[in-house]
Amino acid sequence: MAEAIRVVHYLNQFFGGMGGEAQAYEPVQVKPGPVGPGRALQGALGDQATIVGTLIAGDNYFTEELDAAKPAVEAYLDELRPDAVIAGPAFDAGRYGLACAEVCRIASARNIPAVTGMHPDNAGILTYRNDVLAVSTGTDSTEMVAILRQMATLALKRVRGTELGPAVAEGYVPTGRRQEVMHDKYGYERAADMLLARMAAKPYHSEMCLTGYDDVTPAPPLRDLKDAVIGLVSSGGLVPRGNRDRLVGSKAEQFFKYDIEQVGSLTVEEWESVHGGFGTLILNTKDPNYAMPLSTVRYLEDAGHIKQVYPQFFSTTGNATAVSAARRMGGEIASELTANRVDGVLLVAT
Amino acid sequence: MTAMPAIPLSVGASRVVRGVRVPHVCGDPALSEDRDHELRARIVTTALNALTTPVSTPTLFEPDQTVLEEVAR
Repeated sequence: MAEAIRVVHYLNQFFGGMGGEAQAYEPVQVKPGPVGPGRALQGALGDQATIVGTLIAGDNYFTEELDAAKPAVEAYLDELRPDAVIAGPAFDAGRYGLACAEVCRIASARNIPAVTGMHPDNAGILTYRNDVLAVSTGTDSTEMVAILRQMATLALKRVRGTELGPAVAEGYVPTGRRQEVMHDKYGYERAADMLLARMAAKPYHSEMCLTGYDDVTPAPPLRDLKDAVIGLVSSGGLVPRGNRDRLVGSKAEQFFKYDIEQVGSLTVEEWESVHGGFGTLILNTKDPNYAMPLSTVRYLEDAGHIKQVYPQFFSTTGNATAVSAARRMGGEIASELTANRVDGVLLVAT
Repeated sequence: MTAMPAIPLSVGASRVVRGVRVPHVCGDPALSEDRDHELRARIVTTALNALTTPVSTPTLFEPDQTVLEEVAR
């Protein structure tokens, strides 16, 4: 038999046995052999692979000091020369999930097959869905041993170059890759089978996997408008005339902030829309406030209906924007508004 | 605030306010200045009031109907 496959396992400070939140700033370090859940992982790998070392880092350290954590992981991987990297599982722990995804990306960049495990809604998946192979988990860490077994199976397949089947069959989170497969039956036969199954209330699997949207829990209502700081956001491509930041007219991946503290109204002399998805003549020759009602909001502010307009507005172009980019930008804008105690937001979508 | 409420409602936006047209969501340049000012105030006021309204699912808020009908003509 060939020499056993070398595996490096990544754990956070908690599963690595160092401690809880107090140890969350522990830098990347290595321990020989399996640690904690790594013992169960070694059991799942059996004599086919050996965990040669366990990398451990604190959750805060890895996510906040990424520039230091990455080279440390790279150096350890170069030293330990693994044939595969296994990270986590992280279940629904966001920082841990992000760290596991980063470790997998570092390994992949070195052509080392990598497998992790986490909940499909973990930030690690939301951020790096296309880059990581992750066993789909729930939120219950008592599933640990079963998950580790699946992770071991996937890792061994990857090392041996065995082609992976579809995500549902193999138990990993869909990565967005498509693969051609041959079916025994023609499409119309499969469609008819599905229809019959549906009519008989029997289970069936659609072959159309549509991207779902987030289920957003509505924010609780504001108690008192008169006491509210209101933020303004527009996807109408509004920029200071000249477009110094070069906001694009379509497929935007960036948003920009503009100071409106001393601005009562958006004028065509000073503002323009660079939106490429509709006729901007009215905005650009008559009144940009149609795509972000600053003049009206100021009027209501002066009349005391609201307490204050947040002194910067957020601007991007909503035109053929990728859902992933929109989700990221929305999250970043919301974080900043929340951090600055903005109570409510008016968002104009053109 | 949008002229195409079906889209934000279908993707799960919690509070959606119907605007006028895509090129002028928050008002109507075809109206007189006074009426346009009034319409803008109604749209923005509807949006602000939406922020004070409890909702559990994506909900459409219509600005004052009589004004919008005039705009549509």
